[in-house]
Amino acid sequence: MTALALPTGVDLHLYILGTLLAGAGVTVVCTAGALVLSVAAAALLAGLQSFGGVAARVCVFAYVEFFRAIPVLALLFILYFGLATIGLKMSPMPAAILGLGLNGAAYCTEIFRAGILAVPSGQSEAARAIGMRRWQVMRWIVLPQAVRIVLPALTNLAINILKNTSVASAVAAPEIMFLARNLVNETYLSPQIYLSVCLVYLLISVPMMKLAGWLETRVGVTAAKR
Amino acid sequence: MARNLETWMPLLLSAAVQTIELMLIAYAIGLVAGAFLVAMRLSTRRWLAATAGAYVTAIRGTPALAQLFFIYFGLAELGLVMSSYQAAIIGLGANAAAYVAEIYRAGIESIPRGQVEAARAIGMRTPMVYRYVVIPQMVTVVLPPLCNQGIVLLKETSVASLIAAPELMLRTRELVAESYMPLELYVIAALMYFALAFPLAQAVRLLEQRLRHPR
Repeated sequence: MTALALPTGVDLHLYILGTLLAGAGVTVVCTAGALVLSVAAAALLAGLQSFGGVAARVCVFAYVEFFRAIPVLALLFILYFGLATIGLKMSPMPAAILGLGLNGAAYCTEIFRAGILAVPSGQSEAARAIGMRRWQVMRWIVLPQAVRIVLPALTNLAINILKNTSVASAVAAPEIMFLARNLVNETYLSPQIYLSVCLVYLLISVPMMKLAGWLETRVGVTAAKR
Repeated sequence: MARNLETWMPLLLSAAVQTIELMLIAYAIGLVAGAFLVAMRLSTRRWLAATAGAYVTAIRGTPALAQLFFIYFGLAELGLVMSSYQAAIIGLGANAAAYVAEIYRAGIESIPRGQVEAARAIGMRTPMVYRYVVIPQMVTVVLPPLCNQGIVLLKETSVASLIAAPELMLRTRELVAESYMPLELYVIAALMYFALAFPLAQAVRLLEQRLRHPR
């Protein structure tokens, strides 16, 4: 690595910029993967919570409370370094996406639960009274409304996952923080590089914050119309 | 394993105490700096409000890890050299301040404007309005999210291990390097965080219910 000569002048800046943008791409992929995993797992968990028996609900509670109480970093270390010692070797990216997904699923389950509870129970009771089955009530009455209610919170979850992906640099996932640390080791330009990294994160997160705010006003409008 | 536990546990427990210390100091900084930030944010002076708003967005839009790296490695390059513990305290405190300021703001905005205007109308000045009208009522609104922020901060301290600040995760990594038993050690560390955060989370839940349905 050190044998390679570093570019100088404008080329150096282009080299740093290009590396950081490549890292940003990996960050986005990692965020998207973890978000999809979170939503899928949370849909399953929220379903268990709504339709399952006492045992299922206890399991969901245990899952949510456990993964919300431990730091993402500890979880990633368990998945990446810990499981490798018992023969479950994972590459950095799958480990990062799995860890961030397991963590995100806990928060997402809470979001879904709040969304389902936000639909007035009188509607479900009315639907049951006209003979709909419980899954039909969920499918046709609760979910269409709950989906709109959870959208702002889901956007905030995506922002949190985006920020958490930075921790995946500790398990050598080649996202922006990891590449930035390597760049700093090569160039010693740490203030410039870490500030640029922050700017890249802001370029992704600020539009998402704006989207969350906009969705919140939209949900507020539909809620007021009811 | 049992003999390992005997040597590990005292080290890990003292590291957990360091984690709690780090969290409490950063939290205290966040609570105080957050108050200043929200005062700026609600100021009638445009530039003050805009500066505070930009600060909150910048902190909330970037990961704590990037902030810590900038403060610890970046500022050192610019001549401001800090120990990793100092950098962790300042970084996590500055991070918490932005979130705390948003919580305070939501609390202040939850008080109907009419009350503030009425207090003004009977001759109260701004400090009095806050002291006797706004703050007593806002406590119930801000207390649960403030406690939740404390829990978030407790977990966030783990990230400070990546700039080698002395706390639970760093000590765990050191023990892993010595013993090469990562699974056991990281699970123990995770359980220790759980033992700290889970009771707190349940307490906040109870508090929320109490505040929602006062007796």
